[in-house]
Amino acid sequence: MEIRKVVGQVTPEERAEIQALFERKNGLTELAKIVSADNTELYEKLVKDMGETGTKFQQWWDTKSKKYGWESHPKGNWEINFETCEITLVAQE
Amino acid sequence: MNIKESDRGWQSGMAKSITFIVTKDCQLACKYCYLVGKNTKERMSWEVAKQAIDYILDREEEFREESVIWDFIGGEPFLEIDLIDKICDYLKTEMYRRNHHWFNSYRFSFSTNGINYHTEKVQRFIEKNRNHLSIGITIDGTQRKHDLNRIWKTPEMEQGIAPKPEEERGSYKDVVKNIPLWLEQFPGASTKVTISSADIPYIKESVLHLYSLGIKEVNINCVFEDVWKDGDDKLFEEQLTELADAIIDGRLYEDHACSFFMEHIGKPMDRERDNQNWCGAGMMLAVDAAGMFYPCTRFAQYSLRSKPAWIIGNIHDGIDKNKLRPFLTLDRCTQSNEECINCEVASGCAWCQGENFDAADTHTVYQRSTAICKMHKARVRANNYYWNKLFRKLELQEYEEQKRKSNHPACEL
Amino acid sequence: MLQYLIILLDEASVPYCHSLNPTPSPMGEPRLIPLDTLRAGIVFAMKENLNIQFVYPTRSLPDEYEAAIESIDHTKIKPEVLSGEADVLVLTGWETAKAEELDGATCILHTSRSELQKHLAKVQELLSRVARLNVVLTDIEEFKDEDADAYSQMLDALSDCLIEQFRQGRMVQLNLLTDRLLLTEMNNCGAGDTNVTLAPNGKFYLCPAFYHEDANQSVGDLTTGLNIKNKQLLRLDHAPICRHCDAYQCRRCIWMNGRLTLDANTPSHQQCVIAHLERNASRSLMQKMQAEGIRMRDARPIDEINYLDPFNNYKQWK
Repeated sequence: MEIRKVVGQVTPEERAEIQALFERKNGLTELAKIVSADNTELYEKLVKDMGETGTKFQQWWDTKSKKYGWESHPKGNWEINFETCEITLVAQE
Repeated sequence: MNIKESDRGWQSGMAKSITFIVTKDCQLACKYCYLVGKNTKERMSWEVAKQAIDYILDREEEFREESVIWDFIGGEPFLEIDLIDKICDYLKTEMYRRNHHWFNSYRFSFSTNGINYHTEKVQRFIEKNRNHLSIGITIDGTQRKHDLNRIWKTPEMEQGIAPKPEEERGSYKDVVKNIPLWLEQFPGASTKVTISSADIPYIKESVLHLYSLGIKEVNINCVFEDVWKDGDDKLFEEQLTELADAIIDGRLYEDHACSFFMEHIGKPMDRERDNQNWCGAGMMLAVDAAGMFYPCTRFAQYSLRSKPAWIIGNIHDGIDKNKLRPFLTLDRCTQSNEECINCEVASGCAWCQGENFDAADTHTVYQRSTAICKMHKARVRANNYYWNKLFRKLELQEYEEQKRKSNHPACEL
Repeated sequence: MLQYLIILLDEASVPYCHSLNPTPSPMGEPRLIPLDTLRAGIVFAMKENLNIQFVYPTRSLPDEYEAAIESIDHTKIKPEVLSGEADVLVLTGWETAKAEELDGATCILHTSRSELQKHLAKVQELLSRVARLNVVLTDIEEFKDEDADAYSQMLDALSDCLIEQFRQGRMVQLNLLTDRLLLTEMNNCGAGDTNVTLAPNGKFYLCPAFYHEDANQSVGDLTTGLNIKNKQLLRLDHAPICRHCDAYQCRRCIWMNGRLTLDANTPSHQQCVIAHLERNASRSLMQKMQAEGIRMRDARPIDEINYLDPFNNYKQWK
């Protein structure tokens, strides 16, 4: 059974940071489906960017969870609501 | 209180909407369609699309909006899925290659009749662009309501010959079969319902039917054209009142929304404070198969009954900003007559700049069409009923809840 | 409120504003207004309490026309090549304009910016004779932002010409520079609002330019009367950019608005920038006058502003 529980809230500025990273990550993922390795310049830029964006994305969650001390779960992950800035813990029981 | 609010739309007010009129063809010939000049010939070529994209992306400093909605419209846009797929691939690649700020904030948006939604090509496109899509399928309600207007085009229609009523073939079944797949892929999706005079008796059943199909949000509006007959407003008010009862009594308001009922409409508006324009024409940009730019699709020739197209430039010579100035300086009062300015129930009364232009006595976007006036007033009366009834119900519920809580210890005694 | 009726006496009446050249008659020779139409136009003006401005062609009119014209109080706008009494003379060519014959006259000069620049000496000569010179630019549509400096410099040179006249005690008026000194509110073309035009075909037009551009754009006729649709959009209070503007001398040509922005109540970027360069040049003229101790009765100070196109400030006003 899935459990959903609001465990915290970030500031609008913090929300904007993760929203931009989220959008970029999705953009890169979908771009990766159409850029082939033949297009060397773009392909290399994309691969590097995906790595960097993924790292920044994870760093945001690490930093913010530490800052706010959100409740966690071994089989769970956090989600953010971009409208309300709320952080929800989603876990499987 | 648990009342579902209408979705304001992605990046509402912060996104530039750029529309590709990829085709002026459609499988359907909806009776209320404002596109008077649909045809099978004007299909956008890849060359035109590419030039339009290059023109726009080359001018990042002129298009400063934080986000972009790349919008595809027809006719029926999915008739041109191969072109759309190519356009979207090019957009993604170019936005990224140029380090354009829109790469971090874009959507591809579609208004479709839903007929081709399940096809392999459309599904492959959806899979490929899943996180950046906004797709609205138009389904008008119950079968009888939908089929009243949304009928298949016949070859004779292209010669200007209308089919006999018994020969008309509705499209409901061809659309409704795709709704489950659509909702599975876009669970929060909303549909757009259009009301013209003949549809009024079916409003209540249609909204409830759409809810029963799993569509949680129904955006519904009366056409802006001057089509309303005597008594339509009364019938409309009755339908909305009955719909209000059904939504409130069935507690549907908790997780469903219908755009007819909005809490803050139907109030007087201040001349100074509430003077902004309603419509976004001029903030948007549309391009057609000939490579012409328009302030919105409603200003392209195929949308206009009695005025010449309002062309603001083309992909070769660029945009003539002079021709956008009337749009960017529009305000409510300058285009409204005194009756509208002083109207006691003015808020929420919408207008379409394209219809205003088309219906105007002179070549202007500054003459507001008032064809919708009596329908807005009827809507406001039903809307007042809805909120008065709903708030009273919730108030009583809360009262009962409080009473139950305060009585609880006494019960234990 | 309607105050003036402009009557074009001929299909080839002299252009005196931002109008196109008169359309050649399909029959060959341009035609005079029929005498009956002229008389009916005069009666219309009398009944509506309108002042009439008769616009003459370059050829002389038959006596019965002059007799009809003299039957009512009026203003005559004539090409300067035509002899006889006139209230306003339209100069039809640089070479033909004889300054020595224009003492105390009110003149209209049609010209492009480049021609004006080329003939500054002639303008100076004219300013030494006439009471008022109205310069009507014929190339506003072609104005580019990069032309602004050159136009400002030309206005500055014209300003020096005026100062020279003022020093001699001749308070000559040049619309581009002195109108703004004297105005306290917008004073624009008023087509369809304060004035309307009667063409030789017996139909009314917002102004002569609409008639010359396309005779199908009439706004009524002498039989059925005036029928100006969306009249409110020709008024200043329904012009979102202009109603906030203080380039009071601007022509605010609604015909050109329609051509360039497609809406009669919205001025083009070109029109706004040119009007503001003139406004700012008027301000400089006033500073020069103050420095020289020259006083012009009723002249008022003009504020410094930091824009040339009020459209760019529109969001603040909104």
